[in-house]
Amino acid sequence: MSKTAASALKERDHANPVGAITTFILPALLVYAAFTALPVLRTFYNSTHLIVPNKPSEWVGFTHYTALWSDQIFWKAVWNTLTWAAVAPVLEVVIATLLALCLYAKVPFSRVLRVAWFTPVLMSYVVVGILWMWIYNYEWGALNTMLRAIGLGALAQPWLGHPDTALASLIAVTTWMWTGFNMVVILAAMSSLPSEVLEAAELDNCGWFAKLWYVILPLIRPTLLNLVVLSFIGKMKVFDLVWVTTQGNPLWSTETVSTYVYKRAFQWSTFDLGYPSTIAVIWFVIVLAGVLGLTFLFRQKDRLEY
Amino acid sequence: MFRRITAGMAVAIGLSAGTTAHAQELTLWSHWADQASKVEFVESAAKAFEEANPGVTIKINWYQKEPLYAALKTALTAGQGPDIFYAETSQTEYMENDLVMDLSDKLNWDNIEPWATDVWGYGDGVYGFPLEAWTVETYVNSALAKKAGVEIPVEGLEGAAFVDAVKKIAEAGITPMAQGVGDRPYPGAFLTHDILLKKLGADDYASLLKGKGVKWTDPRVREALEYAKEIIDAGAFPPSFSSIKLGEAHRYFHTSPGAVMLQMGSFYPSRAFASPDEGGQADGFELAISHGPIPEGAACAKCKTIAVGGSYVVNAASDHGDLAAAFLNSMATPEMGNKWLEANLVQTGIKADPSAIEGEHAAYFQKLAAANEGATYTYGIPVQQMQGAPRETFTQTVNQAFPAGLIGVDEVINLMNGAY
Amino acid sequence: MAAQTRTRFSPAGLRMAALMLFIALYTAYSAGPFVWVASMSLRTTSEIAANPYALPWPLHFDKFASAWLDSNYDTYFFNSVVIVLSAVALLTVIGGMAAHCFARYTFRFKGLLYFLIFSTIIFPPQVTVIGLFQIMVEYGLYNNRLGLVLVYVSIQLPVTIYILEAFFARIPKDLFEAARMDGYSEWAIFWKISLPVALPAISTTVILNTILLWNEFLYAVVLITEDDKRTLPLGVLRFLGDQLEDVGMIATGLMIAIVPVVLIYVFFSERLIQGMTAGAVK
Repeated sequence: MSKTAASALKERDHANPVGAITTFILPALLVYAAFTALPVLRTFYNSTHLIVPNKPSEWVGFTHYTALWSDQIFWKAVWNTLTWAAVAPVLEVVIATLLALCLYAKVPFSRVLRVAWFTPVLMSYVVVGILWMWIYNYEWGALNTMLRAIGLGALAQPWLGHPDTALASLIAVTTWMWTGFNMVVILAAMSSLPSEVLEAAELDNCGWFAKLWYVILPLIRPTLLNLVVLSFIGKMKVFDLVWVTTQGNPLWSTETVSTYVYKRAFQWSTFDLGYPSTIAVIWFVIVLAGVLGLTFLFRQKDRLEY
Repeated sequence: MFRRITAGMAVAIGLSAGTTAHAQELTLWSHWADQASKVEFVESAAKAFEEANPGVTIKINWYQKEPLYAALKTALTAGQGPDIFYAETSQTEYMENDLVMDLSDKLNWDNIEPWATDVWGYGDGVYGFPLEAWTVETYVNSALAKKAGVEIPVEGLEGAAFVDAVKKIAEAGITPMAQGVGDRPYPGAFLTHDILLKKLGADDYASLLKGKGVKWTDPRVREALEYAKEIIDAGAFPPSFSSIKLGEAHRYFHTSPGAVMLQMGSFYPSRAFASPDEGGQADGFELAISHGPIPEGAACAKCKTIAVGGSYVVNAASDHGDLAAAFLNSMATPEMGNKWLEANLVQTGIKADPSAIEGEHAAYFQKLAAANEGATYTYGIPVQQMQGAPRETFTQTVNQAFPAGLIGVDEVINLMNGAY
Repeated sequence: MAAQTRTRFSPAGLRMAALMLFIALYTAYSAGPFVWVASMSLRTTSEIAANPYALPWPLHFDKFASAWLDSNYDTYFFNSVVIVLSAVALLTVIGGMAAHCFARYTFRFKGLLYFLIFSTIIFPPQVTVIGLFQIMVEYGLYNNRLGLVLVYVSIQLPVTIYILEAFFARIPKDLFEAARMDGYSEWAIFWKISLPVALPAISTTVILNTILLWNEFLYAVVLITEDDKRTLPLGVLRFLGDQLEDVGMIATGLMIAIVPVVLIYVFFSERLIQGMTAGAVK
């Protein structure tokens, strides 16, 4: 809505002094060019070179790309990250919708609850990582302690130490962090729904589920889809949490593309910056395709229905 | 091309580099931030050197190992590393990329053990000053062993005897071997490493790790792995194995909840001989050292591992290379060697005389000597002998997943074989 | 309606109970960890080792002082404050100028520029971090607080422009016309009209950027090596020693990192939520 207002405003505006425009936009453009555009171009350039200290960078053609094709750790990392990016948004948005409905229905203490649910997103991943490492600790962690307390001690696990549970445990952490945020957004969308529509639904004597399913959800659908895309993008970037907790262990079961790039660039004993750049480039293409694909998918569906 | 653009850019923004080098300041980045005796050793050496050389200051930054390595990797790539830094022999990438200075005509090699110079040799040069050296030992918590009704003799246990001991300890509700891989890429592999080494002998084992003649599909390798697997499946390691950190494993072994054995580098005392409230073992703790498990048909039952541990290297880009080497030489004296032994209770590459050690820790050095009597050494633990993909795969499998019981012998062989 | 509800009391009551259970469980999952770490931050490690879940009594507030003084925390905290505040100030000015420009004027390549800047929101950081590392070294900005400030400006710039542009575009055009009649220069229009009118939106971006940058880790860990230049998230990690995990002290350290953000949230929750949701609601 603001977009159309803006463009209408601009069309009527005829005074566009070049000097002022340049002054206003130049600092932002310089920052963008120096710290975003150039690094990206540099990474693309790196991806076809062997770059080690004390030597001029050496053109190696597409050998990094072919090496990447058969790099099993990379594909494992891609798989993990995509799993994360596919599962987490759904979990977050579904749980957040339920929570938002609770608050929308004005359950008691809703102000306090909103604060309690939203707070996790304010913490840094470093803090969150350390905290959840303790929660998942085998000996005295909160999760195993609770399981033992309710007689399910047999289920106690080294949660982050087993390849079957490590990734799921970390996904639970991002869900913990981001659900409250999604809830707040959804609640805002629900609160801005026109009351006539809801009243009409009441008059039709809809059940609450029908009201939710046929009236509320379709109306806030754009918000939900935006949240899914946003969460998807966020999960494709996951680095800090993994780095603090598992560093990709065990058996690469929590390796994400970000951690693998970092490992290859700054931890492995190879010193080469070319190969990790290649990973970054390919990953960039995959993320772009993913975002475009999701956007396209959601648009298509909209078109079919309206 | 990018260099020119970016350099131009820097000038344009007016933020060109302004590195003002202090005339006589040596910077030193080192691991051991939380090992007080090593910190004190190096700092007192630095102080002595500053006093002997007026005008020189030595600025030391102490780190934990992981953050140190991360900081060094970026700083060296950026050409902004410190003059002297901590390194281990596995880091041949420093030599490969000409990042460290050849010390072969700069250090006083007469005072340094010849094997240490072998290990630090690369190409035509020798690059490291081997401050710390250690052997891989199987430490035994004698009181707990008695409680479990087993005996772990100094000369080790062969074949099924060791497996039986592990089973018996596990049945007594005690953890047979403390270990954890929460923050290091190697301790989980000690067991398998030790068995493979004894089974193959030093030469064939080195060949296996380096991907030369001996393959992971070799039947002897399979037998050794199967033996290790038997021990693991007998419940050797704690269930929280994957998240226990190196320091925590020490504590697990000697204090809570306690384990009968701990396979560890002989740097064990540097943490364990601290006072109990600083995480050390209790007073009067009965520590023994054993030769550990010996596989049947071992080619070299007396084989052990000696590793050059923490060493200092000099940055090739340092403006004060000779001064840095002079500082290292000031530590390379027999007196300093003995001082190191006494303070840190771990061997050193500086020529020193353990038998000269007196006082409360003399008994420990006697035990250590007894456990090493007649041993043949291989130099370096696996991660120090491997690079790149094999090293990463070894870390994930032999160090982590295999001892945690997550994968079996076949997977180890396949994964390792595929990594070369 | 009321009668109906009463007649269906039992299923409704069940439903209510289920709802309450769900809310209680989720609240425990959501707030429990925070409560736990807060209580541990006031207990010593030996107390925690004895029972990780006991109530914090006696309260060891002195732990905050010793975390602050003995672990270089004052330096990390100071670095974080300086770096984040400088970055946020720069962001507000630079982003405000650019947003004003996008909202007020029509010019060539405007659409393209806006697209270029805004599209970086979806960039995975991996694609910039390596190139950025090399470039920072060449600029002489590696291991340099000013360098980190500039990088922080660049990563938060797109979203700042996005939020501010949307707000500026809604300022009535008449206001600017009138100002121009009064002889205001273009710069004065920005400084004296756009910015003051947009104060709510600006405070939103300031709060949002402060929190996100306060928590930033990846660029800090790649670009800063020296201990004295580290920011708080890096400093927190330093507590995780090899030797003995000093759980109580780490918990105190975590609380020191959390408290400023929570304070901001307490005082500015509406603004903050607006900022964080701005990107999500069109």
